[in-house]
Amino acid sequence: MIPLKIKLTLLLLVPAWLFSQSIVTTVHNLSVSGPGTIKAVSESEICIFCHTPHNSSPSGPLWNRSDPGLNFTFYNSTTTEATIGQPDGASLLCLSCHDGTIALGSVLSRPAIIDFTAGITMMPVGNTNLTTDISDDHPVSFIYNSALAAADGELVDPVNLQWPVVLQNGKMQCTACHDPHTNIYTDFLVVTTQYSNLCNECHVKDYWLSSSHRNSNAGWNGSGNDPWFHTPFSTVSENACENCHNPHNAGRNQRLLNYLAEENNCLDCHNGNVASEDIKVQLNKPYNHNVYNYNLTHDASESALVLTKHVECEDCHNPHAARNLSASAPDVQGFNVGTIGINLSGGAVDPVQYEYEICFRCHADSPDKPASPTTRQIEQNNVRFEFDLSSPSFHPVAGPGTNPDVPSLIAPLTESSMIYCTDCHASDGTGSPAGPHGSVYPQILKFNYSTADYTVESYQAYELCYQCHDRSVIINPNGNEFQQDVHYTHIVEEDAPCNACHDPHGISSSQGNSTNNTHLINFDISIVRPIQQNKLRFEDQGSFAGRCYLRCHGKGHNPKSYN
Amino acid sequence: MKTLIKLFAVVTLAFTVQLSMGQISGTKHDFSTKGWNPSGEICIVCHTPHNAITGAEPLWNHELSTATYTVYSSSTMDATPGQPNGNSKLCLSCHDGTVAIDNFGGATGGSQFIGGNKNLGTDLSNDHPISFTYDAALAGTDGGLFDPTTTNSGLGGTITADMLFANEMQCASCHDVHDDTNGDFLVMSNAASALCLTCHNK
Repeated sequence: MIPLKIKLTLLLLVPAWLFSQSIVTTVHNLSVSGPGTIKAVSESEICIFCHTPHNSSPSGPLWNRSDPGLNFTFYNSTTTEATIGQPDGASLLCLSCHDGTIALGSVLSRPAIIDFTAGITMMPVGNTNLTTDISDDHPVSFIYNSALAAADGELVDPVNLQWPVVLQNGKMQCTACHDPHTNIYTDFLVVTTQYSNLCNECHVKDYWLSSSHRNSNAGWNGSGNDPWFHTPFSTVSENACENCHNPHNAGRNQRLLNYLAEENNCLDCHNGNVASEDIKVQLNKPYNHNVYNYNLTHDASESALVLTKHVECEDCHNPHAARNLSASAPDVQGFNVGTIGINLSGGAVDPVQYEYEICFRCHADSPDKPASPTTRQIEQNNVRFEFDLSSPSFHPVAGPGTNPDVPSLIAPLTESSMIYCTDCHASDGTGSPAGPHGSVYPQILKFNYSTADYTVESYQAYELCYQCHDRSVIINPNGNEFQQDVHYTHIVEEDAPCNACHDPHGISSSQGNSTNNTHLINFDISIVRPIQQNKLRFEDQGSFAGRCYLRCHGKGHNPKSYN
Repeated sequence: MKTLIKLFAVVTLAFTVQLSMGQISGTKHDFSTKGWNPSGEICIVCHTPHNAITGAEPLWNHELSTATYTVYSSSTMDATPGQPNGNSKLCLSCHDGTVAIDNFGGATGGSQFIGGNKNLGTDLSNDHPISFTYDAALAGTDGGLFDPTTTNSGLGGTITADMLFANEMQCASCHDVHDDTNGDFLVMSNAASALCLTCHNK
């Protein structure tokens, strides 16, 4: 015979979740014996709040409640293929309490409303009161069939759904995720949401398996906003989908995001509090891709070619795909994989293969694209034309450059090397994260690049150029005639900036030619003037040979030759 | 004082024993005082010692219903209820509302019909399913039911032994027509939904 005291002790050793398999110990026990704060004053029956053995409503299994009205504002999204309407089936049953319009104690089998403690009648305001606006909740009551899965492309074919995730008469309902009688995984979930296991029962997102947002074990350092305010989990991988998405009471209805403002969904983690790099501090620099400036302009369904000017993190990043994986120019790097873009021919690509295809979304054929900051002899703001391989000269972003002899290049760079847009356009500062998030330098340049006339030459003045082009070669006063007479004379002695003669992107073949516009020559006409009317040009005369017709710093070349 | 307490205890015990044994007398199933039952007998409305209706046990004396019923169905139910059978047919001889209560002892053309919530009608789709086999296999398939062959009914034995009839769930699984101790002629109190949770593992 085991003494009672020991028996009781043994009972306490049994884990609580064993008991939570019964509705009796869950907050869905609304009777006087219920464990929650929302409970009846004296009603002892547990099942009665939903079920009655006789004269039940046809709405559900021996249903004992009235149906809510069909005046719900339901979920809609530009990226859903499902046909979503007013809730029905099991979802309507849940909403007979959870929409907050019907007294919890109002049941068909009792003549009067069952009294609740603390004067509660309807579901109190809070997360469990979804209200009649369920457009910020995961959609329900839509047909989820093989055709939907095929049309969507990122959904499991429902014939392969695994119990306990089940549909009701072919429709997704609240009961696909929730079992109102069993609360093993909190929130009456049928499968744990740790690692988004529940979400993954239906959702198969492209690229997701290798994404850092699925695999990172980073945790939160406790500063700033709790990035995981609606989950009990403490690492990126454990939160997975819920790093950004909130299945109920979402901040942004479409795609059920945590926050309405797009960037806020990223920056609670990418501020140094979870992710190691602080992107937020970069975005606050004076020259930036100003994601704060636009709200609800970006749309996940938008075309690759951006037609309405905006920028959001997800214009360049696919959060389902992003990973820390380096690549070589021009191939897209891990941070940007899985995004859409515009290729060198101007066609939409999904996903991008090359990094510059992302930049071309806005900086090529888009209306309202940013203009060049320099007034040049040849104006061109479409960088796709500038970098095109037919251009007489271009920095090697889309393909190796045209100039076979560039002695200033610093190893390992050679004339056949290629570079990224983001080699020049990136956050400034040693150790700053890659990418053009923000910089203290105009054009979001990674290093200083002085463009003003009469800039006194220094390493710092043209630090950007000198990353690849060896300063000691470029402006060698003892070098060959080209180095002495062209670069040293102009840059050091005349204090002319590189930008006065060179157009760093390239010159479109539709405007320039291989006589006048090799070597990125396209004059800044605020500095370089014609020698006579319409007589302003460079003429390429072969290797390290050429002549110029122009007036600059009070001097005239008509022409001035070097060879 | 002590004597008084003892006396009180004895009286209380006696009262409790009588109640728990139950009796039809005085319940809503006691029709002995009804004008349409001039015999003044209690049992006669349902039972007769002689010339009982064949095929309906025990010693059935009330005209049976010939109705065809709409039975309960649900996408989440693994049982397959058929037309009511067994002792449920006896209950429905009054409670489907098609046969007069006073059609007993061979009488027909009665005028007393059941009313209100107690008239289940011939549409039983809004009532707990009956007349289906509830065995270990069903419990295993459903997952939300206890195994009736091993689960204690709370009435002394297993669910199968105490509450099922030839392994079938019937009206009498929940109701004891002769005893209204627990209200609604329930076989046990449904406080804390104890009756529901005897079978339902929720």
